[in-house]
Amino acid sequence: MPKLRTVALVAGAALLARRALRRRIQASPLWPMPALEEPVSGRPRSRALTLLVTAHEEIADGVVQLRLEGHGLPRWEPGAHLDLVLPSGLVRQYSLCGDPEDTSSYTVATRLVTDGRGGSREVHEQVREGMELTVRGPRNRFPLVEAESYVFVAGGIGITPVLPMLRALTGRGAEWRLLYGGRTRASMPFLEEVVKLGGDRVTVVAEDEAGLPDLDAWLGELPEGAAVYCCGPEGLMAAVEERVPGVHLERFAARTTAGGDVAFEVELRRSGRVLTVPADTTVLDAVREELPDTAYSCAQGFCGTCQQRVLEGEVDHRDELLTDAERGDSMLICVSRARSDRLVLDM
Amino acid sequence: MSNKQAARAPQPVASERVPLKARKVSFSWEDTPLHWVPGDPFTTHTINVLHLLLPAGERWFVHVYKQVLPYIRDEELREDVLGFIGQEAMHSQAHDEVLPRLRELGLDPTPYTAQVDWMFEKLLGDRTLPPGRARRWWLMERVALIAAIEHYTAFLGDWVLNAEELDRRGADPTMLDLLRWHGAEEVEHRSVAFDLFLHVDGGYRRRARTWATAFATLVFLWQRGIRFFLENDPTLPAAKGSLKDFHRRGRDGLLPSTGAMLRSIPTYLSRTYHPSQEGSTEQAVAYLAASPAALAAEKRTA
Repeated sequence: MPKLRTVALVAGAALLARRALRRRIQASPLWPMPALEEPVSGRPRSRALTLLVTAHEEIADGVVQLRLEGHGLPRWEPGAHLDLVLPSGLVRQYSLCGDPEDTSSYTVATRLVTDGRGGSREVHEQVREGMELTVRGPRNRFPLVEAESYVFVAGGIGITPVLPMLRALTGRGAEWRLLYGGRTRASMPFLEEVVKLGGDRVTVVAEDEAGLPDLDAWLGELPEGAAVYCCGPEGLMAAVEERVPGVHLERFAARTTAGGDVAFEVELRRSGRVLTVPADTTVLDAVREELPDTAYSCAQGFCGTCQQRVLEGEVDHRDELLTDAERGDSMLICVSRARSDRLVLDM
Repeated sequence: MSNKQAARAPQPVASERVPLKARKVSFSWEDTPLHWVPGDPFTTHTINVLHLLLPAGERWFVHVYKQVLPYIRDEELREDVLGFIGQEAMHSQAHDEVLPRLRELGLDPTPYTAQVDWMFEKLLGDRTLPPGRARRWWLMERVALIAAIEHYTAFLGDWVLNAEELDRRGADPTMLDLLRWHGAEEVEHRSVAFDLFLHVDGGYRRRARTWATAFATLVFLWQRGIRFFLENDPTLPAAKGSLKDFHRRGRDGLLPSTGAMLRSIPTYLSRTYHPSQEGSTEQAVAYLAASPAALAAEKRTA
């Protein structure tokens, strides 16, 4: 009867194995697959929020402040900004200037730029109370670093990212001073609040009263270990950067000519090619002429297919998808352009 | 002989070609309850497994298809594949955004999704292969796998577009719109993955082999996904699912029926199978023309 014995043995073994497995699987249905150490799923890259405009008021000459309400909004750090998707589809970035702990509303302020790219005009003329706006973020590329003391230079609307920093530093009891310049006192937003907050730590220079601020004097004797922050018009930031090379700058507008975008050079390092991206062409289109198998899809900066690694150069990100970390070393070539004259891509 | 072979080749059904484009949808999940099919956790969680598999899975489709682009020698197919890639990328993002909501509701999916991530990123990733035959073989194998999986996504898409029972039971409208927008795009692009497979390889043995792998893996992942959800659902003490639960809901029209699932097997394995023989492009396009999410996306990118 060796046959019967084999059958009985096999059946017994199968039963035992089944029981052992069932117990194991009951202990955890996820046994025994390995897991990726740093999971990717379940942390969406950037969540679009739809917020209600509950206030639209002129807080200084030519400056409109928007209050956007929602619920359970992400907290942010001083210096952070929001991507606003305007009714026409334009995406513009504005510094948050309210309370970082407020999870029910965001506050941004914007100055009307008549010869700009149209974003501020839209905020001023078309956005109204009661409207819904889509926003992305908040993101922070102008973070407050640890330092022994802080020196701020703000020009006009450039006060917006600085204001929450001043509040935070004052709360912490840190040492700071601010040079706040503008065309006229009436055109300088949050002037009263800043002066109240800082007292004699704030130097206000209005152009119609005292001309341009004397940067040499102001930045001449910096305290040891001070962090310098500047936000304002391009000219002011360039002047400060010239005097303090390590200054932290917040630059919103890309370096463009009055007509819009400018041409720049792109090096494709892996394939050893250099090409010029004309002002009216996207990086993607220019690259596709050289490398026709480059992957892309939506061509509008939301699907993420054309993401490429950036090895050198400064990117003007115009997509609505990538996170801060991703923006550090990559770009969506279908919509984003260069801030510098040259980009080097790993492709 | 050539006649005989032609008769056994996949037979597309003539239909007008729809240009494929990614739609920039977004959904807000604040009001979606944990059991979004009211009073029916089993159905809810069976469908929820999609949110566990699709973010990593569709990201992987995109990753593989980016590599296959240089092998495409047909301009029309190439355009279809580019459209397909964008749609899949958006599907992956849209399902990914449901996961934080599940976490908020007390059902953290990370232990499961981390495993799915491992499977698609590591096990089915690029591996360290010498360039040439080995690398090409592995690429073609994955292209065939995707074609097999797409057979099931199109099957499910067609099912959800017609699953009126879910409406009758008062299922969450946002979730239904996500599923139907996704389902409609799957039906819309149902031929692309298969056409691509035929274009770059098309071998029947590979088709059958990868179908078996895909089917077995899907069944394995799905049943443990349901188990995982039922076990970790904070509102259900010691809930269990069984094949009987599945079968009964299939009969009621809350899930695909067991019979339809079994019938889809010989369909894909038939030598003359072509995805255009199944599902209705017209229905898909009609849904997309009326879907709240797709309409909002249209407005946003117009």
